[in-house]
Amino acid sequence: MSMQLLLFQVLNGLGIGMIYFLLSVGLTLIFGLMRFVNFAHGAFYLVAAYIAFALTRWTGSIWLSLVIAPLAVAALAMVVERVLLRHTYRMPHEAQILITFAIALLMQEIVILIFGPLGQNVPVPSALSGIVFLGPYVYPAYRLFVVGVAVLVAIALWLVVEKTKLGSVLRAGSESAEMVGLLGINVDRVFMATFALGGALAGLAGVLFAPIRGVEPFMSVEALGIAFVVIVVGGLGTLSGALVGGLLIGLVQSIMSTLWPEGAQLMIYAAMALVILARPAGLLGRF
Amino acid sequence: MTIERRTILKSLAAAPAALAMPAYLRQASAQGGTLDIAAVYSLSGTFANVGTLLNSGSKWAIEKYDTVLGKKLNYVLIDDRGDAGEAVRRVQEVMTQRGIRHILGCTNSAIALAVQKEVYARGGIYVQMAGADESTGKDCNKSNFRWPVASYSAVNATVRPLIEKFPDAKKWYTITGQYVFGDSLLTNVKDVLKEKGLQHVGNSYHSLSDREYSGYIATALAAQPDVLAICNFGNQTLDVVRQAISYGMKRNTKILAVWSTGLDQFQALGPENCDGIYFGCNFWHGVDSPGGRVVAEVVKAKTGDVPNYLHACGYAVAQVLLEGIKKAGTDDVPAVIKALEGMTYEGPTGTETVRPEDHQVIKDYYLMLGKAKSAMKDKNDFADVVAATKAFLPPEKTGCKMS
Repeated sequence: MSMQLLLFQVLNGLGIGMIYFLLSVGLTLIFGLMRFVNFAHGAFYLVAAYIAFALTRWTGSIWLSLVIAPLAVAALAMVVERVLLRHTYRMPHEAQILITFAIALLMQEIVILIFGPLGQNVPVPSALSGIVFLGPYVYPAYRLFVVGVAVLVAIALWLVVEKTKLGSVLRAGSESAEMVGLLGINVDRVFMATFALGGALAGLAGVLFAPIRGVEPFMSVEALGIAFVVIVVGGLGTLSGALVGGLLIGLVQSIMSTLWPEGAQLMIYAAMALVILARPAGLLGRF
Repeated sequence: MTIERRTILKSLAAAPAALAMPAYLRQASAQGGTLDIAAVYSLSGTFANVGTLLNSGSKWAIEKYDTVLGKKLNYVLIDDRGDAGEAVRRVQEVMTQRGIRHILGCTNSAIALAVQKEVYARGGIYVQMAGADESTGKDCNKSNFRWPVASYSAVNATVRPLIEKFPDAKKWYTITGQYVFGDSLLTNVKDVLKEKGLQHVGNSYHSLSDREYSGYIATALAAQPDVLAICNFGNQTLDVVRQAISYGMKRNTKILAVWSTGLDQFQALGPENCDGIYFGCNFWHGVDSPGGRVVAEVVKAKTGDVPNYLHACGYAVAQVLLEGIKKAGTDDVPAVIKALEGMTYEGPTGTETVRPEDHQVIKDYYLMLGKAKSAMKDKNDFADVVAATKAFLPPEKTGCKMS
């Protein structure tokens, strides 16, 4: 592999990594505070992508979806949390997995009923449909935009978690929800808000991914798989872990697709296995 | 529910007669003048979106025919969940427990290759739509028939016309799915390039679960090919095309998806991703033929729209089987196999013939060129047919030793 190609694959891998961060950050946020394994994460991503598809078809542009779809999915997440998931917090993780998995299947089937089983296209906005030249390299303008959004999301979340009172509550809640409750904070409300925020982030990823991948009813499986790999590698429940995990997985995938193309996908899981062996809690996870 | 003493006595009296009845009469009596046709499709798992529509096509064909030789057709759906092992187990079940001998359908080549062995071993007949050459090549058998073209035909009906159209395109790069069908396409592309003295500047294999291809496309871009040939199928084809375009590959490189499912994939890509891209295709609703019009009517009645390849393919495998039964005048498997060998009929792509030597249906395969949105005459007019070719290996070269 030439040096120039290697450098391009590194840049491309960083881009993929930021996109994977966006995919997984909602999942890790929910687990970090609530210790809740949300298998419906991919379904929220799916629903938002289809909202983007429908709105884009209706309005001719994806921009409106960037606001409406995450909000709609956040509202859906709040309803699901209030009606179903709240009753499972004291149950073992298996029960949570089962119920969120059921929600995911239900949403997938609803999408098939409404939109059919085949994939559909969500056009890239015309302003971002070209390519940009980064030195000798070409990169899709729309991907660059998504990477930019992912960077903004990372900065915004960091500011919220580290610099605001809400962030203090979230961090304290991730250590001991009971203690936070004893301090007079309504933990149920915090949990619901966190779940809604996690849903909104999954929704944002769904909208932004739709022009890259198109939409199809089974797209949630890929999103969920990648998100879990990223947060396991980075460390369950930490924002910085999702960022580091995403970047590492993106780099491995991109570089290996030149060095050993047939094993690129395999190496993602091999990297995960290696990290778990060396650091069972993930690269930035707490033991 | 209570059972009366008289009913029990009547049943006991009838039992010896029933036991003495020949097996085939018992079966006919049990079925009450119906003929069970089992269809093997993946309605869950990775290929469920493909399996669902193939299943619709086959089911609508059975509904359209309704009866054959006076027997009511009964469609028995088997969901293999995208797993060849599961498909074989379920086929074993329906053949042994329900006595079904007429099987059709598959969602990928691995499933078809496994099922065709099983059906042959149990004395049934199987009409399917696998893409791998082996199906009517070295793994052929007397029970097995295939409607779509094999990968050899797909490659030769697309790569050769493209070479003729662009004689200056000397350097070819391939992105290939690392599974039976992808490998089969790749082997054939390499053979054609070698024969034509063209340069195969590289190949990137991807796995069955890959969805992110930017790394492979970067490698392909670095090789500066004149043509990128995509050797995979399903959603993976869409992803490679979409991502290759987004990385600006269309500027200097012709892109050919050797195998596509046509309309449904064009809809999934949208005109902006179809424009200027070459696609290989087994069926196109715009090609007018008597058989094609029948399929169009059936699909129009069900969906209100034109048929796509998956509908047509599902329909075609059922049509081949039922036309064979009609021609044989019996549903007896050996007689149907004999009737099918050499049979000519009006299929979805025009006049189609079942080749006796390897049980391959001889039909056109299309090279299509996607057009710009502004050039589309209606919402389904995504592409023009550039070439329609019947490109098949001579029977003696398929490796088929019919058993």
